[in-house]
Amino acid sequence: MNALIGLQTQITVIHALVLRETRTRFGENQLGYVWAFFEPIGVIVTFYLALSYSGRTGASGMDLVTFLATGLLTYELIFSTSERASEAIHGNRALLYYPQVHRLDLVFARALLEGATLVSVFTIIMLADMIYTRNFTIDDPLGVLLGLLAASLLGTGLGMVFCMLGVVTTFVDRIRGTLLRPLFWLSGVFYTADELPTELRRAALWNPILNIIEIVRGAWSSEYVARDASPTYVVGWILAVFMLGLLLEQLVRRKVEVA
Amino acid sequence: MIELRNVTKVYPGQHAPVVVLDQINATFSANESVGILGRNGAGKSTLLRILGGAELPDAGKIIREGRVSWPIGFAGGFSPSLSGEENCRFVARVYHADVDHVVSFAREFADIGQHFRMPTRTYSSGMRARLGFGLSMAIDFDVYLVDEVTAVGDTKFQERCRQAFEARREHSSMIMVSHSIETIRDYCSKCAVMDQGQLYFFDSIDEAQARYEAVS
Repeated sequence: MNALIGLQTQITVIHALVLRETRTRFGENQLGYVWAFFEPIGVIVTFYLALSYSGRTGASGMDLVTFLATGLLTYELIFSTSERASEAIHGNRALLYYPQVHRLDLVFARALLEGATLVSVFTIIMLADMIYTRNFTIDDPLGVLLGLLAASLLGTGLGMVFCMLGVVTTFVDRIRGTLLRPLFWLSGVFYTADELPTELRRAALWNPILNIIEIVRGAWSSEYVARDASPTYVVGWILAVFMLGLLLEQLVRRKVEVA
Repeated sequence: MIELRNVTKVYPGQHAPVVVLDQINATFSANESVGILGRNGAGKSTLLRILGGAELPDAGKIIREGRVSWPIGFAGGFSPSLSGEENCRFVARVYHADVDHVVSFAREFADIGQHFRMPTRTYSSGMRARLGFGLSMAIDFDVYLVDEVTAVGDTKFQERCRQAFEARREHSSMIMVSHSIETIRDYCSKCAVMDQGQLYFFDSIDEAQARYEAVS
């Protein structure tokens, strides 16, 4: 019963936090939220133009928009969720004045908002592409959803770890970007695992982000089969980062300074 | 009622760790308002944050009965980019209170005019404290934690605070940190002095005053 009341409080708090984040994140006017959509769309358009100019038309049976959106937005779902979540305590210290606001609520609220925004962007782009290409088939819709969910969860877990480390040290904050930036080129955003030579593919598939992007592409396109991606491996990563994040939260919770 | 058992809090200092609260044992009983005196940096605000649950002690236990407010004062609790009204909405939601009631009560009580709809980053510290005070009065707490806030505003606002507390005296109490013995005398029946990480309780405010003057 107590756990139930606790859960209800946490849901209320996260709901209030998401509403609040929406206001602070996207600013005082309605245009702010529109901008949140245009930013990733702009990135996709840029890469679309660059790639189609250089002659690329897509990969492994996917058209170029599908290929780019499944790659870029899945990557972004992991990367920017982790970025936003890792700043959650730092940017919201004042809210910890209210004791029912838990440190993890701040992390989850930011991750939820980021996930919802990017999944909406994904939906809009894919719908537009489907209408344009008149191809309305999704090979495995549930698989796509689970793939995006995995991306969001991995980003949340990574963000949680960085956020808790950030409580006790600024070192991680400084090297985080440098550490994660190369992953953009190593995660199959601009190629599929299929296109890599065998040796390289084997090494590249240690990267859980590549696995998730492969899963999303394989589930979306009936032409593309993600032969080597392993959902089990991805779930393992998610569990590992969540456990590490929760453990770190236990270790640093007494070190969080509110003011 | 709030009870502290062996509560210890240490902050990493510039040279050596600073023990702000050193194994404090204390009971703040319901319906008894307590003033806390202490030099600057004696740890009064830390104590309030720990009483309210905003920060956790390094060791020891805190037992709370009833609803305890957040530390109401000049610092903290508001998102700078949100307006006063939006901040009130957030707090009302978090405390399961009626949002519209809280907003209109806080607006009237704080009496900061059109600033209510402006981002709190544009507020003076006095305006922030007025809003915080109004907001906390809109939500029913059993214990109010107050950090110097009654020194805020003109005599009209101070009178409003006094009346609000008078109306709540039946079922709420207050734990108040202040430099001003006069304010504590006005609001509290008991007084404690913080010094060297310890909390010393006195039944009369005169005794506390004597002790406070001896340590400061």
